[in-house]
Amino acid sequence: MVILVTKLHHKKIMKRYINYYFQFLTAVLLLLSSCANHPDVPSSSKEAKCLPAIFPDYCNVTVPCNIAPLNFMLPADHYEECVARLTTPDGQQQTYGHGVKVQIPESEWQAMLGSSKGKSIKVEVWGQKDGEWLSFNPFEIHVAEQPIDEYLSYRLIEPSYVAWSYMEIAQRNLTTFEETQIFNNEVTCSDIKKGQCINCHSYQNYKTDNMLFHVRLSNAGTVIVNDGKISRVNMKRDYTISGGVYPSWHPTAKLVAFSTNKTRQAFHTSNPNKIEVYDLASDMILYDVETDSVSIVSNDSTLLEVYPTWSPDGKYLYYCKSVPLPEEMKDQDIRTTYAKIQYNLYRRSFDLASHGFGEEELVYDAASADKSVTLPRISPDGRYLLFALGQYGCFHSRHHDADIVCIPMEQYAGTALSAETASPVDLTLLNSKDYSDSYPSWSSNGHWIMIASRRDDDNYSRVYFAYFDNGKIGKAFLLPQEDPEQHITLLKSYNRPEFMVEPVKISVEEFSKVFDK
Amino acid sequence: MEHKDTKIRRLYIEGICTLLFGVAVLLFFGWAYPQHLHYQEQYQLFLFDSTYVWEIVKQPGGVADLLGRFCTQFFLYAWVGALIIALLLSSVQLLTLRLFNWGKLYGLSFVPSFLLWLFLLDENALLGGVWAVLLTQLCVTGMILMIQFLKRKMVSRSIYFMIIITMIVTIPILYWMVLGGSHYHRYPTVFPTLLYVAWLLAIVLPFVMRLFTNKATKFERLLSFTSFVLVALVMGSLVWKNANFKAEKVMQYDFMARYQQWNRILETINTEKPNNQIGVTVQNLALAMHGMLLDHMFDYNQNGIAGLLPDVKEDATSPLPTAEAFYYLGMINVAQRTVFEAQEAILDFQKSGRCYKRLAQTNLINGNYEVARKYLMTLQKTLFYREWANETLSLLGNEEAIAKHPEYGHLRQMAYKDDFYFSDHVTPDMLKSLYFNNTDNRMAYQYLIAYFMLTGDREGYSKLLEEIGSKN
Repeated sequence: MVILVTKLHHKKIMKRYINYYFQFLTAVLLLLSSCANHPDVPSSSKEAKCLPAIFPDYCNVTVPCNIAPLNFMLPADHYEECVARLTTPDGQQQTYGHGVKVQIPESEWQAMLGSSKGKSIKVEVWGQKDGEWLSFNPFEIHVAEQPIDEYLSYRLIEPSYVAWSYMEIAQRNLTTFEETQIFNNEVTCSDIKKGQCINCHSYQNYKTDNMLFHVRLSNAGTVIVNDGKISRVNMKRDYTISGGVYPSWHPTAKLVAFSTNKTRQAFHTSNPNKIEVYDLASDMILYDVETDSVSIVSNDSTLLEVYPTWSPDGKYLYYCKSVPLPEEMKDQDIRTTYAKIQYNLYRRSFDLASHGFGEEELVYDAASADKSVTLPRISPDGRYLLFALGQYGCFHSRHHDADIVCIPMEQYAGTALSAETASPVDLTLLNSKDYSDSYPSWSSNGHWIMIASRRDDDNYSRVYFAYFDNGKIGKAFLLPQEDPEQHITLLKSYNRPEFMVEPVKISVEEFSKVFDK
Repeated sequence: MEHKDTKIRRLYIEGICTLLFGVAVLLFFGWAYPQHLHYQEQYQLFLFDSTYVWEIVKQPGGVADLLGRFCTQFFLYAWVGALIIALLLSSVQLLTLRLFNWGKLYGLSFVPSFLLWLFLLDENALLGGVWAVLLTQLCVTGMILMIQFLKRKMVSRSIYFMIIITMIVTIPILYWMVLGGSHYHRYPTVFPTLLYVAWLLAIVLPFVMRLFTNKATKFERLLSFTSFVLVALVMGSLVWKNANFKAEKVMQYDFMARYQQWNRILETINTEKPNNQIGVTVQNLALAMHGMLLDHMFDYNQNGIAGLLPDVKEDATSPLPTAEAFYYLGMINVAQRTVFEAQEAILDFQKSGRCYKRLAQTNLINGNYEVARKYLMTLQKTLFYREWANETLSLLGNEEAIAKHPEYGHLRQMAYKDDFYFSDHVTPDMLKSLYFNNTDNRMAYQYLIAYFMLTGDREGYSKLLEEIGSKN
């Protein structure tokens, strides 16, 4: 046994050194290849009189002043080549293009952003089709004064039904293309047949010294980082229906509000929503990280409470709660009544000293308009409320009609808002038509909204950002990638995107040690 | 010193023995064990893509793994696969032979190759393991040749220095290429003992043998040949005894369903009636495809509903034949889910060309063209699915062409129009909905009636007949 452990340890060390070696080689290669291709613009071209059909669509978007290069491409099945000329407000110009792709070196792009802060970069695009060059209408990339949080984390997973294979929680530096792994479901999976699911990564106040994620089935538990110290806890108690599921860290105290859920899935025979995720039961608990104690927040057995989220000052806990079903439907199989289950948004005040909650307040009555609200998030300045709205249920990431809604909190004065009484912010530039837009969140400065959307192909969710300033929204843009084709070819979904102001500093190996105990 | 003519004669005889061994391996895998090769192929997807290659090669043991995966893609054609295995195992034998003058113990040089053959009888044993042994042998042989070369060229003191340098350079390279590998068996937790024993014998045995004097005897050639015959008989019978021909038959049914060989299935079941779940499922599917299910189902073994549309289990193998039935019935979303889950259940996290094809097809039928495009773009990076992917890509969005397509157009007509939730267990209501949705769906009709016949639910059957009557 000792020999086996030592062997594994040596193997891990060797593997790490090999990885370092290859990272070094990659860095050298990247350095060598950083001499970007600066092609000449075509000497003659025909005017296309339209914007270029680039992917991702970065035409006239507003981007953070620290975002990674917005590399893009023309469709490879229609064009042979693409050339782009970028002009900054100070008159500097540079051309890019290799094949149908436009990939801008990070250093050159950051310099362009630096000189365009608060202004725009003009982009002219030429595409060669059947040997003939077409020139498209130029567009602009507006560079906001406000930066975006430097890091983003997400779970990369096949958009699965019940079974799954490899999955990882990864973190991405938004100012570069660097992506590293926080954890994966292979490293500590002790029972390969049972498998291991990792999910619900969550951070306190955008920082990573206090964070958590769940590990289910093989080696199950919730991995909690408390001031950098890692532990694995089992949150299931005799008096709870499950361990903690959807988490929300209190912004200042070592407390985490969780929903507890008995979740099931059902599959449609022809409905394009394809998969339905629903709860047979769900309650809410409060977990005290310091004392490892669990207290009940709400456990109405007749109703479903889910998606707790704290207000930025920690004085309120917002959550969604189902509306009672009509009497004649109450005893029916939930799969036949599920399309009638709708959630409203509530909140309860919270007293940090006593850990006590106040009376329940209905904040947004979605059911009165035959809708269902999920995943609330309050802006860091407390002025705006974001949530995902669909017709029914609590899992809008599979609902085609799901959109993001933003409501100024000043409209809420103690009386429940509804579709009739609230005047939401116009989010036309953020939402997609007929595709699921879900999982909204705010950047720490409140100027960037991030969502997970299936708009590109209806199956693989991708991360979109949009600029937000004083109730005005910019056009949503896709998470930039070094190779713009990656979003087309990657057969994984970006699940539960969360902003962070700093990276998770604990390595996969360090996290895995908590499973040895 | 061995006489030149004797040496040539010896090499000639050794060559014939190796050839005999290679032919035996070829015939075994090509003729007696081809389904195991197809099985291997369908649980991996080799991509001609730099990211894919890099992800494999950067892992310790990655080179052997990559070579194994590269070769496995040819298992789509069993005889090509068998030839590859024959060449690999023969090479291992020749290199084992090269490392020691075996003399009368010549037969022992075949032992590592026979052990690898035994290893490959397991459908989850990966070819990367065989490559790992071969690459190690090549490295060791190279090292020996280099030392011999240095010995000839340098003064004695420098030799040891050069040997140390050579080892310092070679061992990490060897580790990176093969030794650190853990992907030699599909079950990551399984320790492939046979492989490691073969590995050990292929490298260590020749050196151990050097410790013992191997004096030439009077009947050297006879003894040498006898040792070969002995090893061949013992190890060969071990191979035959350990071969899983039962699994081979089950795999054959799955293979025939995969390639829509309905006539061949009928021929096979008429020769020997299947008595396993996959065989019965495929048998019923083939009967239904010929419109013969209701008249002939009881001519063969049945297994209740579990032989018609078995419950989907969480593994990579058993759901695939059921998914074929779902697909041809027109239960497109059910087929899609079943195939997706089967692929996700592949224990070493690989992807499957067969599954990607079916996922592309079901998405195409459902009109989810962008999702289908993703799968097809991946298949374009393969050697054997590229052409099909290119053809299918041209259909995306072309409603007229899809409507006219004999398979996709037909299945679109047959597919569910009513929506409801399905589960892992097929119910008569699911089949009823499918049939009443389109009464031209003869597959659904046969399966629906068969369902009641197999369950003996007379009441349900009478009710169904009434419903059919009232609809007509």
